[in-house]
Amino acid sequence: MPDSNTNKRSATQLIQDYLPQIVLVPTVVAMLMYVVIFSLWTLWLSVSNSTLLPDPSFAGFGEYVALWKSKRWTVAYQNLFLFGSLYVLGALVIGTLLAILIDQRVRFEAVWRTVFLYPLAISFIVTGTVWRWIFHPQTGVELALHDMGWISAQFGWITDRDLALYVVVITGIWHASGFAMALILAGLRAVDGDTVKAAQIDGASMARTYRRVILPSIWPIFLAVAVVLLQFAIKTYDLVVALTQGGPGVATTVPAIVVYDLMFQRGQIAQGSAAAVMILVALAIVLIPYAIYMSYRRRGEESTHG
Amino acid sequence: MAEADTLIEFDPLSTGSRRRRITTKAIVYGLLVLFSIYYLAPLAILLMNSMRPLDEIVRSGFIDIPGSVSLQYWAEAWGTFCIAGTCEGVSRFFMNSLLMAVPATIISTVLGLINGYALSKWRFKGADFLFGLITLGVFLPAQMTLLPWAFILGSIGLSNTISGLVLVHTIQGLSFTTLFCRNYFLAVPDDLIKAARIDGAGFWRIFRRIILPLSPPIVIVTVIWQFTGIWNEFLFGTVFTSGANQPITSALVAFSGSGTGVRAYNVEAAAVIMAALPPLIIYVVGGKYFVRGLTQGAVK
Amino acid sequence: MKTKIALNTCKATMLASAFGLAVSTAQAEPKTNMLHQWAQGSEAAAIAKLGEMFEERGGKWAQTAISGHTSNTLAKLRSDVVSGNAPAAVQLKGPEIAEWNETGRTANLDDVAAAQGWDAVVAPELTTVMKPTGKWVAAPMNIHRVNWLYSSKKILDELGIEVPKTWADFNAACEKVIAAGKICIAHGAADWSDTTTFDSVVYGMDIDLYRKAFQEADTDAMRGQSMIDAFAQLRKMVGYMDDGINGRSWEQSMAMTMDAEAAFFLMGDWTVASANAAGYKEDVDYVCTQTPVDWGGDGFILNADSVVFFEQKDQDYIDGQKLLAETIMSPEFQVTFNVAKGSIPSRTDIDLSKGGFTQCQQKGLADLKASVDEGTLVRSLAHNMTVLQKFRGAMMEVITEYVADSSISPEEAANQLADAVEVQQ
Repeated sequence: MPDSNTNKRSATQLIQDYLPQIVLVPTVVAMLMYVVIFSLWTLWLSVSNSTLLPDPSFAGFGEYVALWKSKRWTVAYQNLFLFGSLYVLGALVIGTLLAILIDQRVRFEAVWRTVFLYPLAISFIVTGTVWRWIFHPQTGVELALHDMGWISAQFGWITDRDLALYVVVITGIWHASGFAMALILAGLRAVDGDTVKAAQIDGASMARTYRRVILPSIWPIFLAVAVVLLQFAIKTYDLVVALTQGGPGVATTVPAIVVYDLMFQRGQIAQGSAAAVMILVALAIVLIPYAIYMSYRRRGEESTHG
Repeated sequence: MAEADTLIEFDPLSTGSRRRRITTKAIVYGLLVLFSIYYLAPLAILLMNSMRPLDEIVRSGFIDIPGSVSLQYWAEAWGTFCIAGTCEGVSRFFMNSLLMAVPATIISTVLGLINGYALSKWRFKGADFLFGLITLGVFLPAQMTLLPWAFILGSIGLSNTISGLVLVHTIQGLSFTTLFCRNYFLAVPDDLIKAARIDGAGFWRIFRRIILPLSPPIVIVTVIWQFTGIWNEFLFGTVFTSGANQPITSALVAFSGSGTGVRAYNVEAAAVIMAALPPLIIYVVGGKYFVRGLTQGAVK
Repeated sequence: MKTKIALNTCKATMLASAFGLAVSTAQAEPKTNMLHQWAQGSEAAAIAKLGEMFEERGGKWAQTAISGHTSNTLAKLRSDVVSGNAPAAVQLKGPEIAEWNETGRTANLDDVAAAQGWDAVVAPELTTVMKPTGKWVAAPMNIHRVNWLYSSKKILDELGIEVPKTWADFNAACEKVIAAGKICIAHGAADWSDTTTFDSVVYGMDIDLYRKAFQEADTDAMRGQSMIDAFAQLRKMVGYMDDGINGRSWEQSMAMTMDAEAAFFLMGDWTVASANAAGYKEDVDYVCTQTPVDWGGDGFILNADSVVFFEQKDQDYIDGQKLLAETIMSPEFQVTFNVAKGSIPSRTDIDLSKGGFTQCQQKGLADLKASVDEGTLVRSLAHNMTVLQKFRGAMMEVITEYVADSSISPEEAANQLADAVEVQQ
């Protein structure tokens, strides 16, 4: 019968038309649960009476107040921005430098690339542990220098309240700059040869060419690297625990440590959730401008391309 | 896309006078060597200390020329050291990690490919929003997702199982894999797809005939990224398993937990290297493809 | 008649044996899975011993040892409870026993306790912790003494110093040691070790202050002059330490003292286990005494590890819990475990002159009994035996920051301490 055939065809046709969306459904459902529901759950817990175990009864915003009154939290939150920016910038700068060096048609490129990239394969815990051995005055560089005869050498940054955070930054950069290098190198290779030739004909030096022509043209890559590095920075936990345990005192504590400690060590799930929400807020502070900017750009592109 | 002649045309080292060329070359290689020391130092230290006797390490620190060298600590780390109730070294934890990381990597990569393809090549309303939602998953700190996951795994009866852990890692990895794949497939010319659709090819046909053949570079990037991330993960691996099911990261942390014993730095170093070998090998072998996959526009 | 009786007896015997057989085949197999944080070293070996004893008594043993910080074990515990799989046995201590008991998920051990007579043999200060609402909820594994002072015999003899009895003596001794060019106090800075030292300082200077501030979290007491004096003493002591306290482990500090690089080391009795394992000898390398007290007498700051049981549905696990509780409190386990750990048994009826206990451990038991008699027994803040974790954590933050930052004055520190507690109330 023509009617049922049409119906059957339109059903299959419907599925065919919406196949992309249908295929995405499992992921979207999973993400709705993982991103949206988990975040809402955390938000709810932060205003609840939860202590040892989750407790859904409402308790107001007292935990946020208590959180911000604690010195450890304010230090941790500051460290998040300080460490985050130094880490991302540092990895980008060093990654760019390394990429430019390798881009100079050097020999043994595979060797250099492997050397700079391999740290990404090492877990944060191991990274922190080994660098702690190196940085600690009694087991690492300072000791080695003393043994070699340079008795007055001092390299105790990791035990210095004001300098310990930079130790974390240096270690973090060691870990992730290879990733930045890999992407930037890829970008350098993809640069349009003609633009570069034009600059060379105009008599620009190598440094100038890089600065004025090449690097600006690959800025989307910098942005993309920054995003990936940023999420490393925000989630930083194992690195600091293995490297300094948040010390000396609370000098190198980061928010993820506070969240974990509050939720599980101290049985203050509500306050821990409040801290987690504050991490998400810090994230929003960075991401929302980025998202707005990206949609501006896309709208701009679409209008120019008609 | 990469221009093959860029490399030949623009060789900064061949601009300028011969003397300048040599100095520039010297600076470049010099810098590379200097940086290499910074990057290789930890690995060298680990390797060295995995073969030195313990009293030597305690006496003269970690940065020192080894007095005597032995491979026994490697054997001990693999097969006999007592960790967490068993005295079989890290071998069984190594296997546990494999059992967990391999399936999760495969599943999240496959799903990432399909998702990335759907989001980049089939423009529908809300595609960008969905992509944004999926990407947000990349940023969630693990500590706040621990309890919700515990609840969910308990409700579906998968707590304290490797499958439960695979599920958690797969879903958390979906964000990354989709991010990478979608950006990569954006670079595939839309005309190719349009032409195929005009020829009557559907969603899956295009996937099989056009997308898959183009995807090896991004598959490698995704596999490397996922495997490394899952293999090196500590928190979920430790909390969502029990007894002898723990992953190797758990075993490594056991080395540093003090208690009333002397910390066996040498066995620890050997164990650390062994634990790091799978991702390391993948990076060393796959590094070329990693860069190539990224060259071809993996991240925009 | 006789035949009938014989027949009946015969039938009865057969019935009885048949019944007996049926009962024995229906016997459950007690099993357990113990969650704890002792993943390595001699503590792990001691738990392995527990497993062996458990199996000897007919149980099926399994354990989950979580490495790293205690928070990892607690994270797993919470995750297991939230997912509906509360563990059969968990290593928990102090006020957390009461907290978990309030959730209503803990198992009741009263029958086992009654049958084994625990009330009679467990130290009184401990029973209040193990029975937060009057019912036995946890089985204590040991008693640690926190306020030990380990002195380097070599340095004492060399400089002709006696083991200091009061804090004034201690400061004087340190001046002498420093004048002779050695380090006075070996220390590794961490929140718990800084607080362990401060525990002893406050306790030794003013035992009432300790009770009010550290056991009851009384913020007025924290702001008082006594606390300010205690912080001042702590600042002096940090001055007697060397520059390398950040990142040093407690074992390294112990080694420094026993190798005569430093004169004194303040730490709990687990030091003894470590020292023996490393080959150091009492009265040759080190001398153990209580930390200085200004009020003359025997002091004891108590820390105890214990096992809490969560309600189970599976009868095998329930039986396993009873069996495990019995095993833990059995004299054989108490001896083996405590010799290995450096602590003393939680049962007061065990003879410490047998079984391999060191002199320091025997001294510890004697001091415990004396302290109970004198009414000076307290529980440790640093080792999570007094106030809730939220207060303890906040207090330890203040104390460790004070040690790390010499610009904080004693008055500021005392007020910070009180503020930190009030914020969490």
